[in-house]
Amino acid sequence: MTAVMERAPGGSGDGVGEGGPGGFRGAVAAEWTKLWSLRSTWWGLVGAFVVMGVMCVILGGAVASNNTNAIAEDDQGVVAVGGIAVDAVDIVQFVVLTLAMLVITGEYSSGSIRSTLQWTPSRARMLLAKASVVAGVLFPVGVALGAVGTAVAYPMLGVWGRFSVGGAVSAALACGVYLALIGVFALGVGAVLRSTAGTLTTVFLLLMVVPMMLGSGGSKVMAHIADSLPSSAGRHFMKGDSVPYPAVAGLVILVAWVVAALWAGCVILRRRDA
Amino acid sequence: MITLRGLTKRYGDRTAVRDLTLEVPAGRVTGFLGPNGSGKSTTMRMILGLDRPTAGVALVGGRPYGALRHPLREVGALLDAKAVHPGRSARAHLVAMARSNGIAVRRVEEVLDTVGLTAVAGRRVGSFSLGMGQRLGIAGALLGDPRVVMLDEPVNGLDPDGVLWVRGLMRSLAAEGRTVFVSSHLMSEMELMADRLVVIGRGRLIADAPVAEVIAGSSRNAVRVRSPRAGDLAALLAAEGVEVVEVEGWDLVAVEVSLERVGLLCHEHGIPLYELSAREASLEEAYMELTGASVEYGAAAGIPAAGAGARAGVAAGLGAVAGR
Ligand SMILES: Nc1ncnc2c1ncn2[C@@H]1O[C@H](COP(=O)(O)OP(=O)(O)OP(=O)(O)O)[C@@H](O)[C@H]1O
Ligand SMILES: [Mg+2]
Repeated sequence: MTAVMERAPGGSGDGVGEGGPGGFRGAVAAEWTKLWSLRSTWWGLVGAFVVMGVMCVILGGAVASNNTNAIAEDDQGVVAVGGIAVDAVDIVQFVVLTLAMLVITGEYSSGSIRSTLQWTPSRARMLLAKASVVAGVLFPVGVALGAVGTAVAYPMLGVWGRFSVGGAVSAALACGVYLALIGVFALGVGAVLRSTAGTLTTVFLLLMVVPMMLGSGGSKVMAHIADSLPSSAGRHFMKGDSVPYPAVAGLVILVAWVVAALWAGCVILRRRDA
Repeated sequence: MITLRGLTKRYGDRTAVRDLTLEVPAGRVTGFLGPNGSGKSTTMRMILGLDRPTAGVALVGGRPYGALRHPLREVGALLDAKAVHPGRSARAHLVAMARSNGIAVRRVEEVLDTVGLTAVAGRRVGSFSLGMGQRLGIAGALLGDPRVVMLDEPVNGLDPDGVLWVRGLMRSLAAEGRTVFVSSHLMSEMELMADRLVVIGRGRLIADAPVAEVIAGSSRNAVRVRSPRAGDLAALLAAEGVEVVEVEGWDLVAVEVSLERVGLLCHEHGIPLYELSAREASLEEAYMELTGASVEYGAAAGIPAAGAGARAGVAAGLGAVAGR
């Protein structure tokens, strides 16, 4: 037996390990490769742009018709073109979120999470690698979505649109930041819940239904609670609001939600069997 | 080398693996046997850090799996061939795998070639047959040129050609000094492939020994005698405390006695012998006897001696012995 051990196989020294550093960077590279090798990623992105275009046609058209119809109360006057794209994000985000959470829930449903954890046994490293890829992809995608939305809304608004390059750029950047963050948030929730349907339902309730219910109650406390939820915080951030809190505070609240979701995901991943 | 110390896993109130302590040595093929639900896959999942042990530790090369910097370069494992996203191509799966552990991407083509999947490497894994998926899993296990190879039922779904290939592969990996730990339900295959065996039943260690030793330990190793005075010989053997399990006409079968002893006895008493032969138990028989008491999901009939100890297993085994 000692004789055959001469050619010690494996380990890091015999040519196999020329492919890079492994560790966190390796985990990120693997997640990147996995994301782009699935057709669902491409369909999701195409879907996001289509929904953005359609929403901006609808919202832009609505502003124009509200301003010109007989009812005076619904007149909005001249609006920022970029604001239409930001409004459309309310809906578009769900396409993007589905993409982001599938990065983990898709692995649970297919069983491939066991492969992933075999490659990258550290739960925190695995989740942070996924988060990095999700954020890294969704930020430029979000910026592009914001730009496309603005471009579509501009002709729809016509004279009712106020366009400035600075406004359009900051709206697009804000879309990018928000979608990247909310995508990572969905990823964290996915790590906690593991199921695609469960995660989508939870995220939809938290981002859409709960804020609407709280907001319609008319109670001040409820409105405050609604303002502290991630989607409301994100909207105040994107719109550059100063009421109820400055835009930066909206960003801080949003980041806090993202960190909390990732942390919870990490804890659950560590505690539970794969 | 794989080391398990007091490894225990409970799911709720069900204990899947109970206080398993053993060492899987390098340079050998170690077969991992046990009835359905005996805890083989659970043990392997714990070795890979996928399931957390309730108690005890599992070490690979002296370290827990989670502490390995480039785990795929140390341990190549195939647990579940379906643990691949069905929408991804075989090549993309392996490329991602290589990148995760800093393995040169050219290794992907090498292992695809090794397992014979080059032609279909661009196809979605979801369209693969059982055996193709299994080959992809083996490719993944080999990707990092690891010192330790651990495969859960690798020949499951493979064609005869593939089975033969896996056997040769396991032998050559072990000959290179690697640790090879393989589970299977195919006893004939194990007999040909493995040097050592670890047998578990209901999560407990039943045997941890070289294959030859496991077979030698079987009470179904018997001595067959053909003699016109078989009846007299049976009486003589019985008087010496040897268990004679069958006498039928001129044929006699006795267990736990050597050929030499029977031969001498016949000589001393002038009993003519037409045949005196050893009948060695097969691994399958030895395995059945070892695990007879721990089969949980046995069929209603055809499983020998469920619910009894090894001694009782003898009685059931005899039918098979005498019948040949
Ligand atoms: N995630 C789980 N939750 C609850 N029980 C489990 C879980 N995984 C395994 N078990 C139980 O643990 C026991 C051991 O299962 P395991 O899959 O390890 O058996 P096995 O030896 O691999 O069986 P087979 O030969 O059928 O593959 C079984 O009783 C099984 O039901
Ligand atoms: Mg199993």
